[in-house]
Amino acid sequence: MNASVPNPERPVHGRLVENDRLLKETGHLFGLRELRRKQENPGSYEAIWQILQNICNTGWTVGCKVSSSPIATEGGDALWALHLPTGEAVCTSRGITAHPGLLALFVRSLIELGYEEDPGIAAGDVFENNDPHYGGIHPVDFDTAIPIFHRGELVAWASAVSHANDAGYIVPGSIGFMNPSVFGDGVPVTMEKIGAKDRFYPWYEMRIRSRVRTPDWVMGDARGRLAGCITIRERVLEVIEKYGRDYFRDVIQEYVEDSRRYAVMRVKTQAIPGRLRKSNFKDLAMAGKRVLLPEQDVDCLFNLPLELEIDAEARLRLSLQGASGWVPFGENITPTALVSALLNGYSHVVGFDMFNSGPMAAWTLDTPPEGSWANPFPANYFASSGVAWAPAVMWMSSLYEAFGRLYYMRGYVEEVAAGAATTMTAEFVGTDQYGNFSAALALDQASNGSPARGMADGENSAWCIYTPNGDFGNAEFGESYQPVLYLGRNVEPDSGGYGKFRGGLGHTAVWMIMNTPGISYQCGCAGIRSKIVANHGMFGAYPAAPDRPSYASGTNLKERIDARLPLVHERGDPEAPDLAVHLRATTLEPDLVAPFVTPEPLHEYDVVVHPISGAQAQGDPLERDPEHVRADLSKGWTREWVARQVHGVIAAQDPASGEWTVDLEATAARRDEIRRERLRRGVPFRDWWSAERRKIQASEGMHPAVLQMWRTSLAASPGYAAELRGFWQLPEDFEF
Amino acid sequence: MASYESEEIERLIDGKLPWSRVQEIMREAKDPDRFDKWIAVLQSRVPWSERILLPLTPCLSIVQKQAERVVKCRCGHEFGDYRVNWKLAALIHVRETREQLREVYRGREQPDPAWIQIREYTCPGCGAQLEVEAVPRGCPPDFEFLPDLDTFYETWLGRRLPDRKANQDRTLEVVRGWSAGEKR
Repeated sequence: MNASVPNPERPVHGRLVENDRLLKETGHLFGLRELRRKQENPGSYEAIWQILQNICNTGWTVGCKVSSSPIATEGGDALWALHLPTGEAVCTSRGITAHPGLLALFVRSLIELGYEEDPGIAAGDVFENNDPHYGGIHPVDFDTAIPIFHRGELVAWASAVSHANDAGYIVPGSIGFMNPSVFGDGVPVTMEKIGAKDRFYPWYEMRIRSRVRTPDWVMGDARGRLAGCITIRERVLEVIEKYGRDYFRDVIQEYVEDSRRYAVMRVKTQAIPGRLRKSNFKDLAMAGKRVLLPEQDVDCLFNLPLELEIDAEARLRLSLQGASGWVPFGENITPTALVSALLNGYSHVVGFDMFNSGPMAAWTLDTPPEGSWANPFPANYFASSGVAWAPAVMWMSSLYEAFGRLYYMRGYVEEVAAGAATTMTAEFVGTDQYGNFSAALALDQASNGSPARGMADGENSAWCIYTPNGDFGNAEFGESYQPVLYLGRNVEPDSGGYGKFRGGLGHTAVWMIMNTPGISYQCGCAGIRSKIVANHGMFGAYPAAPDRPSYASGTNLKERIDARLPLVHERGDPEAPDLAVHLRATTLEPDLVAPFVTPEPLHEYDVVVHPISGAQAQGDPLERDPEHVRADLSKGWTREWVARQVHGVIAAQDPASGEWTVDLEATAARRDEIRRERLRRGVPFRDWWSAERRKIQASEGMHPAVLQMWRTSLAASPGYAAELRGFWQLPEDFEF
Repeated sequence: MASYESEEIERLIDGKLPWSRVQEIMREAKDPDRFDKWIAVLQSRVPWSERILLPLTPCLSIVQKQAERVVKCRCGHEFGDYRVNWKLAALIHVRETREQLREVYRGREQPDPAWIQIREYTCPGCGAQLEVEAVPRGCPPDFEFLPDLDTFYETWLGRRLPDRKANQDRTLEVVRGWSAGEKR
């Protein structure tokens, strides 16, 4: 956030430079050592905050209604915000909380790039960006902003973002994991003035119509963004007329500084100073799959390390030292976008009160290693960010556990969260039931289980990492825009890991393809793990299982329907899945490593089984209350072998009533037996270290993706490399 | 300013408080005396007398043991200096074959052992599973938290601890010693 030298021809730019100076000198945003308006009249201060927030929510309601795509209209996967003239977000609507930081940096960039002079900023102008090279996160997220002028003075901005169904990626749809480079990233809108007088320029729509596959939805969403922004502008001008421009100007700055103070104080009063480290990893196994370019026939493993330091002033420093290298897929992210992603995570775990740009001044993020997935452009200026969230949200998941640990240490167990769930998407691409081309993202992925708390299980199908307003929409709505019928939408047993408190459970969607001549199932990665599990064994829990979808094509499902035989409604036993038990099919894939695109189109009566993950658990599974295990057994949310083997709970089911009862005495004995078994099989760490370091030196049992990850991690982060080699006492020149 | 009875905090910790009451506590401004009551509750539950300085996990705490600060399990087992990753003094069991993984993860729920190993850290004193790591071979164990205890007590809480300690990670010193021992 370094502004260049102030220019008298650019008054807002001058203010931006001054703001940066004041923050550096005083430690307070805008140099606000006191919140004068708040002190003078806290009632009005609070009331106007509520008014502005309601205005943003009204923008969201109007914008979503005007929008066309199911993602915005039914899923609400969009956001509207109000900004200072210099860009800082003041308040936001409900919706996808991952974006206020990006929108703030987008507006700031307009100022920094000199747009006040050229092309000029005037009432009624419309600006837009989706280009990661200039602050966007990935091209399907279109960031739009309009200035708000009051009697000739720029007093604020209104902004919006929505996730388009298609941005012209090389592969249809919006989850561009397959994009090999920026040249597959579709239609760019690069920091452009796309309209004036509250209307789009004609060439904006012409470009959308010639370069995306679902132009009606994309243009409808663009109109939705603009309509919501105009709604905000008109209501804000009413507020200014009523309360005065000076008051408005002061108070919107105070809200942002207030939020910064809240974030700092929350850390100081509820966390602990020190250094916290959390490793995490994510796979992208593509070798042998249908890919676009030869260099994509490769398995990748991402290193997603988090180091967090809290100093005496409760300032946070975050680092990604050790991050692995960029990948030839759309799973790279820029540092700018990562900062915004961080604000999303921070808003979930630290700053809950006034959600705006304030907390961004309460932390620093070290520049991620050059050439890594988190800072790819220094090594490859054309690396793709097709679905840049994918590694970022997996990294952010560590932030949940990190703060969970900090709150636990301080005794605020009610604020503890374990690690997050994953985001495996489903897009159906082809001809829909109306005969039109369709590239439609199912909404199911927007509703995971929530992380285990410090004193309770997480909630089922209630949340997802990129927005706390998790909503998977109505099944019937999904059936109206995709050529599928739901055969099932069920809670997935044991999908929240195993611990004293488990993560909220995910659900599994079972779709039957219907009313289409052919459609492909794109099982996408917007942040998943399919070969590995997350490093979220918090306090002795076992992490949630990997993401594994399945499908069958050329099935005998119609025969089974006609004969009234059992169909496929859920996943079933992990070693004998319902898909394989009940169906005969030309292609039967009951356990696939995601992501992928089906090699052949699916047809009527083909079946897709798509699980949405639960979140992570915490605590030794042997400490789970046997009554909680019994309750889960009764609901079908856990299985008898898990109760006995993992939780050490001995339970029996009454064949007549179906009720489960726990034998407490046998449970206590079983748990003692498991503890004794742990002591018997456990080896002193030093003995294991001694054997393990030899295996590392010999690369024994290390998959090529693991070796390649370590090579790139160590090459880009010398300090991290020295510490890793030091821990295993490897030679200084050791290479994996 | 909110403040809660120790009995209520105990019920909160144990997951026995009704959810509606937990939500009330979450909505309120935080109780500034929580840390002291939290420590007192934990201290009352252990069969040993060393002062708890900071709980790290449900099992492990940093305690003042004469002039030293050591990591100690609630069962009484000690893991040594808090500036050394306590995992180096734990028992470890690694699941890195399909058969080993099957005890926890079956069929499609199983991760690929060529990519990842599941490390279980056990307290040698009581058999509690303290942490689980899921990492590829080559990853050093996470040293989850190295607190700045002196800053925390002096600057944040306004109290002094009996003595100050240089707040440095000393884990590598231990493994260097192991390596030297192997060479001998």
